[in-house]
Amino acid sequence: MAATLCGTLLAKSGWLPLTQCGRVRHMSKSVTRHKRPMHIIKQKLMAVTEYIPPKRLAAGAYPSQNKKVEVESGLVLILKKEVKKVFQDCKMIAVVQNNASNSEDMLTLRHRLHKHSLTVKFFPNQVMRSFLKDSEFCNMAPLFIGSTVLIVSTQGKVKEMLSTLRGSPQMVLLGACVDGTLLSAQGVQHYSKLPSVSVVQGELVSGLTLLSSRTASLLQHHPARLSALLQQYVSQQGAPAAEPRPQESEGVAAQS
Amino acid sequence: MAASSKSSVVLKAVKQVMVQMCPFESNVRSTREFLFMVGSEKARATNMNCEVSTVVKHDKSEPVVDITFTDGERLVMKGAKLTGQEMLQAFQSRCLAKDTQAQAKK
Repeated sequence: MAATLCGTLLAKSGWLPLTQCGRVRHMSKSVTRHKRPMHIIKQKLMAVTEYIPPKRLAAGAYPSQNKKVEVESGLVLILKKEVKKVFQDCKMIAVVQNNASNSEDMLTLRHRLHKHSLTVKFFPNQVMRSFLKDSEFCNMAPLFIGSTVLIVSTQGKVKEMLSTLRGSPQMVLLGACVDGTLLSAQGVQHYSKLPSVSVVQGELVSGLTLLSSRTASLLQHHPARLSALLQQYVSQQGAPAAEPRPQESEGVAAQS
Repeated sequence: MAASSKSSVVLKAVKQVMVQMCPFESNVRSTREFLFMVGSEKARATNMNCEVSTVVKHDKSEPVVDITFTDGERLVMKGAKLTGQEMLQAFQSRCLAKDTQAQAKK
């Protein structure tokens, strides 16, 4: 800058400068407020000669910097405890997807289910998945995508639940965990058609005692028949005496 | 769940939507998202006669969405390798095409 000023001043005064003095270099500043753009060759040189620190391969010697330790928030922990309690207490847990039913439908459904002592629970999917992957119910985890609702009960009232859900078409039953057994939707329907425990026990007992009861009836067959015939004879005797006698004796002879 | 840019699903030209899936498989996410968007209150309010039915199976079959339109055309989408957005876009483009056809006829 100084050189240019000199150049202009001297030119105005009319003095022709010598070529040596006139050889003025107009160079850009070396000290700038912004970062001076590097020449492309210098940039390339700097890129090639960058420092690469040595990679340490010893595992465990230094903790990896990228690993984030996930600390679950307090709310998540509380919800997880609640989920655990639900899974411990309830005999039947059904997973249902609701396609955006409005609040009135939801209220009606909850009322109908409450009559059969079934409760509706809402939990965030993240909490459910983190609970399920640690517990024994890990195979239920793929059910919890999208908006899901849990229907739980302490008694296994599957038939009532199915009949209530049939009334609301937008609730889709995906699966259920009944008595610690994971069931699909069809499995739930088969389960609801099963007879009660007492009926099944009765059937089992009757099947086992079938043979022995047959033997007993065989043994008792003859005396039972004789007593029935004698009773019939007595009742016929008691009837009007106008009954002809040979008919009775014929009947008795034929049967014996 | 991502909301589409044109978030209204209009079912005016649709007669029936049948969704078939196995919820225990890992490839049903997109189908469930599609079902959620199509089965929502707003979508169903656009056409009260349209039935949205779901069949839940457990036989490792692929998730399939079968849409029957009012003029008899069927759109079958196999959701195993599709995203929910793609399925919705395909469905909406067909609906739009039908709308324009109907308007052109008028």
